[in-house]
Amino acid sequence: MKAVLLNGSPKRKDSASACLLACLKACLPESVSTVELSLSRPVLPEAAFDQLEGAEAWVFAFPLYADGVPSHLLSCLLQLEALPLCRGKKIFALVNCGFYEGSQTEPALEVLQNWCGKAGAHWQGGVGTGGGGSLVMLLKPPWGRGPCASIHRALTALAKAMAQGQAMENSFVTVDLPRFLYRLAGQLGWRQMIKANGGQGKDLNRQMD
Amino acid sequence: MKLIITDIKDFSVPVQGPHQVIRANESIPRCTGCFGCWVKTPGQCVIQDGYHLTGRDLSKCAQLILVSRCVYGSPSPPVKAVLDRAISYIHPDFAIRQGKMHHKRRYSNQITLSAYFYGEHITPQEQATARKILLANAVNYDGAVGSVSFYSSIEKLEEVTL
Repeated sequence: MKAVLLNGSPKRKDSASACLLACLKACLPESVSTVELSLSRPVLPEAAFDQLEGAEAWVFAFPLYADGVPSHLLSCLLQLEALPLCRGKKIFALVNCGFYEGSQTEPALEVLQNWCGKAGAHWQGGVGTGGGGSLVMLLKPPWGRGPCASIHRALTALAKAMAQGQAMENSFVTVDLPRFLYRLAGQLGWRQMIKANGGQGKDLNRQMD
Repeated sequence: MKLIITDIKDFSVPVQGPHQVIRANESIPRCTGCFGCWVKTPGQCVIQDGYHLTGRDLSKCAQLILVSRCVYGSPSPPVKAVLDRAISYIHPDFAIRQGKMHHKRRYSNQITLSAYFYGEHITPQEQATARKILLANAVNYDGAVGSVSFYSSIEKLEEVTL
């Protein structure tokens, strides 16, 4: 079985979506071959069409933007809907958000599910992941250990559904860290970033007139 | 003040009272996920194209009204692009609201979000998703949801007053 892994992050490197796809890939059995494509811009890349047509399953991975699907990816979905090659494809999704609770990605998974209805594709289920701000640092081999063990388990279940050609219920998961610690680390991170850009911590509070 | 974000090119829906209209076009540059609006140029998007101050504009409104094509239950790509690039309205730090993690306020104004979605064949599922997204936006802005309504065409929308 062939699957296309579609990275819908606008970031070319250091994206949580790429980390989730790498982990999913490691969970897939040899019977599933994968091709990776980037949907980082609002226009579908020419090279995508053949790959998309030749695959049974498509896995969209993207970050939650303003509680939904990023604008550029919505544009890609509209272009895909107009193409007959979507019909009958099995669609899975991995959505990550910077909030702690993976359940906050639910509306974005629903957008994908609604797209399937319009495009004639088959919604197979998705995983919504919280703690997205830490995944580039934490979600790496050896898989299944440490603070991303729960995420690995969720992706293992999705990989199993893909390999067996079955649908699954959406599942929501987060990093295996206490929320206060994730919050603290995130807020320290903003201060480090603004200092690296020549600012000060208090500049985070700036109000525009 | 009402802030209206719309993808309708020739927007002619009547509006009562003081308002600002942001017209979102197809060619608007999309958010690149750089977080520059929080850690490089706090309060504004780093892409200085006229849409970079939407976060500030949000701080001056009491009502945010989206007038948009409904795309799978989401605002359309141009309207979504404006919203994606307006996260500078909120602060990068976190707050716990209704038991879940959200962002802290940057400004003190209270926003009520409403949406007027148009499009042929908007399904009940898409309507339910659109309501969920608006509610999630409102919680994240620490605001409230007003009306969320659906119309089968732009022409039907012109019968309402915002």
